[in-house]
Amino acid sequence: MNVVETRDLTKLYGDVHALDGVTLTVPEGSVFGFLGPNGAGKTTMLRVLLGLARPTSGGATIFGHDVQSERDAVHARVGFLPDVPGFYPWMTGAEFLRFAGSLFGIPEPTLTERAHALLEMAGLAGNPNPVGGYSRGMKQRLGIAQALINAPDLLVLDEPTSALDPLGRADVLTMIGSLRGRTTVLFSSHLLGDVERICDQVAVLDRGRLVVQGSVAELRRAHGGSTTVRIAVTEGIDRVVAAVAAEPWCVRHAPVVDDGQATDVVVSDLAAARRAVPGIVAGLGVGLRRFDELEASLEEVFVGLVGVNR
Amino acid sequence: MSFRAFLAKDLREIVRTWRIWVLPGILLFSAVTGPPTARFTKELLSTLSGDMFNPMMPDPTWVDSYAQWTKNLSQLVAFALIIALGSAISGEKRTGTAIMVLTKPLTRAGFVLSKFVSTVVLLVASTVLMMLVTWGVTLIWFPDAPFGPLLAATAAWLLFALLLVAVVLVASAAVDSGAGAAGIGLGFFFLLMLAGIWGPMLRWTPAGMVNAPVALGADVEVDLLWPALTTAALTVVLVWLAVRVFERREL
Repeated sequence: MNVVETRDLTKLYGDVHALDGVTLTVPEGSVFGFLGPNGAGKTTMLRVLLGLARPTSGGATIFGHDVQSERDAVHARVGFLPDVPGFYPWMTGAEFLRFAGSLFGIPEPTLTERAHALLEMAGLAGNPNPVGGYSRGMKQRLGIAQALINAPDLLVLDEPTSALDPLGRADVLTMIGSLRGRTTVLFSSHLLGDVERICDQVAVLDRGRLVVQGSVAELRRAHGGSTTVRIAVTEGIDRVVAAVAAEPWCVRHAPVVDDGQATDVVVSDLAAARRAVPGIVAGLGVGLRRFDELEASLEEVFVGLVGVNR
Repeated sequence: MSFRAFLAKDLREIVRTWRIWVLPGILLFSAVTGPPTARFTKELLSTLSGDMFNPMMPDPTWVDSYAQWTKNLSQLVAFALIIALGSAISGEKRTGTAIMVLTKPLTRAGFVLSKFVSTVVLLVASTVLMMLVTWGVTLIWFPDAPFGPLLAATAAWLLFALLLVAVVLVASAAVDSGAGAAGIGLGFFFLLMLAGIWGPMLRWTPAGMVNAPVALGADVEVDLLWPALTTAALTVVLVWLAVRVFERREL
């Protein structure tokens, strides 16, 4: 079942297509990465899905409810963290969570129990200070906690890690990762490493257009381009590299930083490389320690899909 | 349910931020300084100018004390109300809190109505309380001061103030700048003052409410039926308009 479905979703600001005929689906239970460079239309997409902006044409549903005409039904089942979450600076974190829960009509004692558990998860339990004094990372963690107060069936996160330091990012990604299997997560980001780390489904948006959608593994296979193999030997890597570089299937090669007797080779014909490498190594009289086929990273997929037009 | 929760938040916000100090503070200042100002103005002028004006000035009465209160309501308090309310909606949009609450089951109508109701609660509660303070302080120097004219004047001003609240809410829903919304509110206020120069406007429209509190406070009979009715009707229409404007805005 698909939690989110959009059909030819288009949003114009003047003559600019913020969204240009986007049709995508978010499967139930997935951690869905919504990728794109800055200005690709990710935030506009999420704003339309949440009824904060109106599409120029096309439509979208969440759990089968139209996002424009059935906003209340959508909001009741969705948790949302904007890219820059706004809080009332005079409230404490606990007060804000209770307030957010009261907007959903969550009764006591469920509200108290849930607010306490979420504060613990966010590492903010027992903090008596008003939110106005929180760091950016604390606000982001509180933002995720408030988005979970209604135990949402869909959690929508807009660039949740973009403004955080590495430790803050790791915390937030761990929090999001821990939700896998409990709720569907739609997670927009321009940080490929973050998406690669926690998402199982990905859509790539560029200049308002959906470039591709699928599982991370599918995208790597379909759009990864050349394959990289790692060759590690017992000795004489320079002679191995020279021999491999002379082969017609060798596109380029680069040394492996943490292994002085290894090299990464981008190959144009994987089958030919598989057949040739053992013979080359044996012919040079050295031992073959490893022959690994490396997967294309999401970054390579992304650059291949988006970078070609720039 | 969500409206009640948001209204409770708005009311708590009044109590826990600067909002609790501004309007009630100005009203309190007006309530405790008005009666002694009225009582001692004549002596003060005599001291400053010798006895030049003294024979020409009548002795102060409770009317002068109430006039201080009604003049402050019509000018100082009205301006403070407009300025303080300018960012009621646009401020939440600018700081991102509007997005946080409006992606939960709170309607935009509920958001705007909560702003109106919470402001009215603050306005009515603090004005009525300070009106009683004004009466009490007036009685110290003018023991024969009747309560009726003060009550009528304050009630008339409160009705007019509700109209100002509605105007500023429409402006705050329409423009992103709190100062801009306050400017629109002040512009509306001055337009009504100007409109009052023309008799029919004074008789039939909210323009008749601008100076009515001063006359009522002096126990002068004023026919306020049509100005009061049109003020109430326009307030309802403007609150509805604020809701419609905010519903059409993209956040």
